[in-house]
Amino acid sequence: MGKHDTSRRTFLKGSLAATAMGATGTGLLLKPGRAMAAAPRDRKFLFFFAGGGWDTSTVYEPKFGDDAGGVDMDQDTFLGQSGDLRWTAGDDRPSVSRYFERWGWRSSIINGIDTHSIGHGAGTRFMLTGSSASSLSDWPTLLASQTEVGFSMPHVVFGGPSFAGTRGSALVRGGGGRVIDLIDGSIAGQADVPTPQMARPADFMVDAYVHGRIDRFALSKQGLGRRRGEELLASLERAMELEGREFEAGLRTQTRDFYDQAVRATELMRLGLSRCAMLRIPGGYDTHGNNAPQAPQQEAFFDTIDRLMDHMALTPGHTSPTLLDEVVIVAMSELGRTPRLNGGGGKDHWPFGSMLVAGPGVRGGRVIGATDPGLVGMTIDHSTGLPSGSGDLLGCESVGAALLKLGGVDHDAFLQGVQVLDALIA
Amino acid sequence: MKRVTPALLGLSLALTACSEPEAEPITPLDARSSLIRVKVDLLGVHPDEVELQAIEEEPELYPLFVDRYLDDPGFLTRIREVYDARLLMRNGMDGADEPLRLLSHIVENDLPFTEFVTADYTIANEAVAGMYDIQLAGDAGWQAGWYADGRPHAGVLTMTSVWQRYPSAGQNANRHRANAVSKLLLCDDYLDRPIAFSRNAVDQVTIDPEQAIRESEDCNSCHSSLDPLAAHFFGFFGYEDDDFSDPFLYRPENEELWRDYADSPPAYYGQPTSSLVDLGREIAEDPRFVDCAVKTLWEGFTQRTYGEPDWAEVQEHRSAFVDSGLIVRDLVRSIVNSEEYLAGGAEERELAERLATVKVVSPSQLAGIVEQLTGYRWSFGGRDGLTDPSTGLVTLAGGIDADSVTQATRAPSVSLLLVHERLATAAAAHVVANDLAVDREGDARLLTAVTREDVPDGPGANLFEDQIRYLYLTVTGIPLPEDSEDPARLVELWKQIYSVDASPVAAWTGVVTAVLRDPAVITY
Repeated sequence: MGKHDTSRRTFLKGSLAATAMGATGTGLLLKPGRAMAAAPRDRKFLFFFAGGGWDTSTVYEPKFGDDAGGVDMDQDTFLGQSGDLRWTAGDDRPSVSRYFERWGWRSSIINGIDTHSIGHGAGTRFMLTGSSASSLSDWPTLLASQTEVGFSMPHVVFGGPSFAGTRGSALVRGGGGRVIDLIDGSIAGQADVPTPQMARPADFMVDAYVHGRIDRFALSKQGLGRRRGEELLASLERAMELEGREFEAGLRTQTRDFYDQAVRATELMRLGLSRCAMLRIPGGYDTHGNNAPQAPQQEAFFDTIDRLMDHMALTPGHTSPTLLDEVVIVAMSELGRTPRLNGGGGKDHWPFGSMLVAGPGVRGGRVIGATDPGLVGMTIDHSTGLPSGSGDLLGCESVGAALLKLGGVDHDAFLQGVQVLDALIA
Repeated sequence: MKRVTPALLGLSLALTACSEPEAEPITPLDARSSLIRVKVDLLGVHPDEVELQAIEEEPELYPLFVDRYLDDPGFLTRIREVYDARLLMRNGMDGADEPLRLLSHIVENDLPFTEFVTADYTIANEAVAGMYDIQLAGDAGWQAGWYADGRPHAGVLTMTSVWQRYPSAGQNANRHRANAVSKLLLCDDYLDRPIAFSRNAVDQVTIDPEQAIRESEDCNSCHSSLDPLAAHFFGFFGYEDDDFSDPFLYRPENEELWRDYADSPPAYYGQPTSSLVDLGREIAEDPRFVDCAVKTLWEGFTQRTYGEPDWAEVQEHRSAFVDSGLIVRDLVRSIVNSEEYLAGGAEERELAERLATVKVVSPSQLAGIVEQLTGYRWSFGGRDGLTDPSTGLVTLAGGIDADSVTQATRAPSVSLLLVHERLATAAAAHVVANDLAVDREGDARLLTAVTREDVPDGPGANLFEDQIRYLYLTVTGIPLPEDSEDPARLVELWKQIYSVDASPVAAWTGVVTAVLRDPAVITY
């Protein structure tokens, strides 16, 4: 199969979907309960990562009333509530309340996640792979690689962590924007010894020849060699498609702005170029010395995702009426923070964390999992998400298994024997 | 594991064929491919045609080639690159190469690997010496030197660069550094251990973390050995000083500060120690130190991730290492002479998946191979394109930046293909412009048989096929089969590109690009 087959197929699929469904209008889109969500295999996943370990009490774990006393909550905060959702509200974090009031019906807060570690590196690996083993790929890489759709850039890392494991061919690391220079060929002129850029027709002719060579190379191998050959071929086809569609995705317009990056990530999804993306949430959450930055950073983050939801509600998806029907947002950090302030006004590492998951297929409007008044994870019933004395602690691997299931990936193939957090799934 | 050469393996196969025993489980690479694999691994470039013809005629020369490559200065560059996958020093920090240079000094002089933690000197160049106040033994280049602040010397354990890369927050009391020792030198990361706190332990941590660490069994399972390790590093601990003007300084007066923090005296897994020098000696005696070096270099040179089924194979290399007196070159020699290393395929599916029958080049290997062939090397603002992570291209090509990307990608990703394509295009444009220049000085590198006047349909038609066959041979090291259709296909490609603007330079650039993008360039 040549590059033009792949390109045309994906392009036509995206265009037809957009044309056919775009006419449904956006007025209906904000109403909850409409059965327009993308099927699991069609869902895209936008991951946000807060590096350093966020304080779960800043937003996700309101400890007021009966729960009060064990946690040093920020001053002047109070309980925010919408239906079954509860969060920490405050005048200094209006976007948090605005987000949950507007989008809470499609969002789940997951609390009391056992991160299995209190180290940044190990916590990050556990939260994203469910294991400490280096051979395992992270959730977005698995979601991106286990699909029949030929995404050109299956998982794009704009920033934040990535664990390629054994599926690195699905991963595209941003490289500080260099990837765009590679796609459009402009890197030739940026080198200290610049060279002329190859003209498009010649570039395509060479691509076609190389495709044939790699095809024959793959066929001549066995075992791992065959797999590497097939990965080479698939990656070449993706590269060729990207070169042909770079203008369409608007990839040239680079930005470091967090909201723009998020929109750019959803554009890649809309065009069917990517299934997953990872963005690092700006700021530093490792607040040992002073816990004060947690709140303004969360406020900025929720302002961004609130605007992003608006954008997605008005933008046609790849296979669904809108991106809102297609893109699952997953926000996480590698750790939680201690319930009490330390002597320096900061909070230290804590092995129970929280996540926000929102989008199609998510059983929204609820809090899943729980901690006790001292912020210690409680055992829960994984099918209901409610505390249960006969249940188990909520391990990060159970959340990962649910994310894979949400994306139509056979979680058992990667996480054998792991209890799935079914409560997350509608 | 057998230690074989392609020739001996061939003989072995021939003998076994006579008696019709079971088929060999591992299919070896042919002689040419064997030499390409080992030279790319040890020196980061392809062998030239003279070497390839020699090995083809006498495959038993393989071990001699290995010896020659191990003695080449290029091997020291490769050993630094391979070992940084463990140390993760090259994150853009100035002075980051200090421990890697000690390693290559050890390798170059065939010193025992224990020198890595016992050397009573450091290795620095003028820049590093100036930055860290190191007195050098000689005038220029990387050489032995000594810190002027009176610190003891114990290889990497007393290097400022290492503890800058692995700092310790004040409250953390050097525990991060203690874990770095365990992770980097013993391949045992405390943070890989799953934490299962009892409710009681969690309550204790909430009330008084340091007391919990001392008294809780849950905490003690790690901290009983971690904290005594951490106690060694208070000389590098500047948090008690008012003056932070020199963060590189070692402060002997701070060595006893462990009493004010975890209050665990210095020790190495139960064995009391009194200094970093003692610590180095203890680590050098620890079998895990040897295991970790073997694992690191075996994984680095085989592109495999160590697992239980590999135990017996790796133990053979470990024995060779120990028998040699911990000489790194002997360990690497053992690895690259092994049957598994030279595997081109395997009958059994599990084995075929486990062995690296096809390997993918690292960014620096790709840069080296292309430069060797074309004389072109990517750099941007003076920064090397495929070895300096700050260009962004290293991680795109599957490498690490020792910061946010700490694990190389061995699968050929779309971004590696894009890097390969653009580098090949640039290098082809560069070499073709030179080779076809009317006023060229010196010999042509790749286009040795044609000039810019030759066209495929004219009298020079035969030259085209010869030229293309030569190109393939030079670039991939593997001759095209007699019946290959590739010369005809590339002539057609030449004509297509030439038809656009009648430029022989553009047409040959397309052809050379196509050959440089061959899968044999990014795999080996």
